[in-house]
Amino acid sequence: MTEPKSSRGVERTLKLLHGGKAVEDAKRLAELAVTCCDAQCRQAASMAAWELAENLLKYGATDPTKSAGTIAVSVENNTIRVRTTNTVHSPKDARHVQETVSRIATSPSARDLYRERLLELFGDPSQQRAQLGLLRIAFEGSFTLSCSFEAPLLEIVAERACSEH
Amino acid sequence: MDLQVAKLVSVESLQLKLVSSTELELAGTLATATAQRELSGILSKLHARIVEQKIQSFTVDVRPLNFVNSSAIRVFVDWIARAESAGYRLTFITERGVTWHRLSFSVLRSLAPQNVEIIEKNAALPGQPS
Repeated sequence: MTEPKSSRGVERTLKLLHGGKAVEDAKRLAELAVTCCDAQCRQAASMAAWELAENLLKYGATDPTKSAGTIAVSVENNTIRVRTTNTVHSPKDARHVQETVSRIATSPSARDLYRERLLELFGDPSQQRAQLGLLRIAFEGSFTLSCSFEAPLLEIVAERACSEH
Repeated sequence: MDLQVAKLVSVESLQLKLVSSTELELAGTLATATAQRELSGILSKLHARIVEQKIQSFTVDVRPLNFVNSSAIRVFVDWIARAESAGYRLTFITERGVTWHRLSFSVLRSLAPQNVEIIEKNAALPGQPS
């Protein structure tokens, strides 16, 4: 099914709630938003939405009665944009995200960073967190990442060029 | 949970089938902590069996495994580390048209190139064998 041209450029937004199928819903949101794109773009957008939604639920506000944050997906001017916004539970986590995004943005090779992290996990299986999500979005998804943190609000934006059918 | 040849095992939306004593097929999606924990347990037992039976080479067909999250990549990292330390070879059959297969498995291979081989295949056209 092809997305009507008139709806391109519209940002689709979803509030993510703890529990239930929030991550699956985020993936579905991305799939719906990029139906006009080729297979590679669709795979990339689904993966990015999944990883960002998982991060948001892991590190976002923990009050089960409120939304953990929002995810938004748009396709405009041949660019796919996946954007998450949430209140962070710990400023330390937000700073870690900022550092990771900055490291990815300034590295000449996302593949090298991804491999470096896999090597760390390979050498030390006792590490609890894989912390591969953002690296995977940059490497496998070819997304450019940026983020901003104005306490307590963290916004992460992933963008990539897309090819339409 | 133990794997038996030709018997399909489902863990949420992940399906595992031991095609033979030296080949496993993974299908579906692997993206929840529960499924990862279950799969890790199953693979630990499978690894022990491979070592006990002195199997030199084991094949994992991941072509029907269409989606995993980043934490699931860890399951493959751990298996490759075990295979390297036990000295057997893992061959992953991947699907060229699936981006995460093409990119992540090439990096996974680089962790232990002596012990990991990747065979990349194209999706079969309707009516043709894969």
